[in-house]
Amino acid sequence: MNTPALVSILRQGHYLIASIHTALDDSQMIRFQQDLIEQIGHHRSRGVIIDVAALDVLDSFGSLSLRNIAEMARLRGALTVIVGVQPDVAFAMVELGMGTGSVHTALDLEEGLVYLESRVANAVTDMTLGISG
Amino acid sequence: MGGLDGEHDVAALIPMVRRVVGARVTDPDVADDLVQETLVRVLGATQRVEPGMLEPYAIVTARNVVASMWKAQDRHRRNQHRVVDLRPAAAPDENLLAGEEHVAIAEALGRLSERERRTLLAHEVTGQDTRTLADELGSSAGAVAAQLNRSRARLRVEYLLALEQREPETDRCRPVLLALSSGERRRQQEVDAGRHLLECQLCARLSQPLLQRGHPRDDQVRIPIHSDADIVRARQGARELAARLAFSKTDLTVIATAVSEMARNIVRFAAPGEIVAELLEAPRLGVQVVARDTGPGILDVEQALTDGYSTYHGLGMGLPGARRLMDEFAVASEVGRGTTVTMTKWQPEGRR
Repeated sequence: MNTPALVSILRQGHYLIASIHTALDDSQMIRFQQDLIEQIGHHRSRGVIIDVAALDVLDSFGSLSLRNIAEMARLRGALTVIVGVQPDVAFAMVELGMGTGSVHTALDLEEGLVYLESRVANAVTDMTLGISG
Repeated sequence: MGGLDGEHDVAALIPMVRRVVGARVTDPDVADDLVQETLVRVLGATQRVEPGMLEPYAIVTARNVVASMWKAQDRHRRNQHRVVDLRPAAAPDENLLAGEEHVAIAEALGRLSERERRTLLAHEVTGQDTRTLADELGSSAGAVAAQLNRSRARLRVEYLLALEQREPETDRCRPVLLALSSGERRRQQEVDAGRHLLECQLCARLSQPLLQRGHPRDDQVRIPIHSDADIVRARQGARELAARLAFSKTDLTVIATAVSEMARNIVRFAAPGEIVAELLEAPRLGVQVVARDTGPGILDVEQALTDGYSTYHGLGMGLPGARRLMDEFAVASEVGRGTTVTMTKWQPEGRR
């Protein structure tokens, strides 16, 4: 690809840090979803951080995609945190009637890492109980 | 072989041809060209012309050459500033195209009413001003100018139809094209021009030159919606337009989100369609977004506006969600024809 990457998925120890750099259309979002799920298996990751700070809009499809990613990641044995939801985006999501459901969120990357550190040790127990966040 | 003789005879004609052309054309370069053209034609005719008749033949030819140049100039002057760009394209089919355009213009003029045509030609060709025309017609200069504008609008439409050699398929085509040609926005809304252009391929094509004419609208963006990539373009276009007013960043995101939902609906159920965002000045400053599609339509609009109602996997946020985001929201749907959603966000009072 000649164009700058739309998303980057970086490995950080047991975790994957996925940053969305620009507004994604639906097909790009679905590809991102597939890539991420694949990489979880490849790196045997225990946690995933999705940074959405660059997203201008999270509409119904965007929100649902994030929820789906988190659920697929959970089924693959990794815990997901969404970080960087902008205040305007948060406002619009709530007005629209969408949210990230049960997916955990954190203010920024640092908070997200702190959360994963605190939870991944217990994650296995949580998952067997069906609690993901 | 009379060739050499012929050439000699023609050379002897040069001073005379120069005089004939020079008496009619002042520009020496143009005159030179015309003299050359005349001589070429005379030379080509030497075999056919009786020996003694070469001189009168040359005089007639020279006059004809000058006259056809005038005609061409006049035609160019009449046409160049109105209908389409008639500047010749540097292509081999140039002459053919120019011929077709000429025929199309003549046909279009023929479709105007006698009175319309006379007034238009008197103004455009003879150069009579609107005041003189108003006196003749027992009307006012303003009324004549308005009439001229309508005539030009009609001429543009008839010209395009004549050029395509097509008759409109429905009786809605002409009113829509006329409204677009005249650039009257109210009229365009009355005849629902946007929807017609989605439905009628002929008008969609013919409207291109009409819409490109004149000043490009800078208070409106129009984004055709075909595939999911267009969703992103639509919401970004609407956001950029709305950003020219004093909306807060949150409001801009809210508008973009609502546009995104509407564009998504079109892609899911009803492509192709379009999103048109437009700045409003009255009754207040605001941005209006119209989402039009050519889909199956919504059977029960009330139900579609209810939270949780959905025809695809678990999301019922499209219409009711967008309605919550915007200040005004209206759905007009006709089963089998499509849906038009019109939604508005007003700029908060007191912001400048």
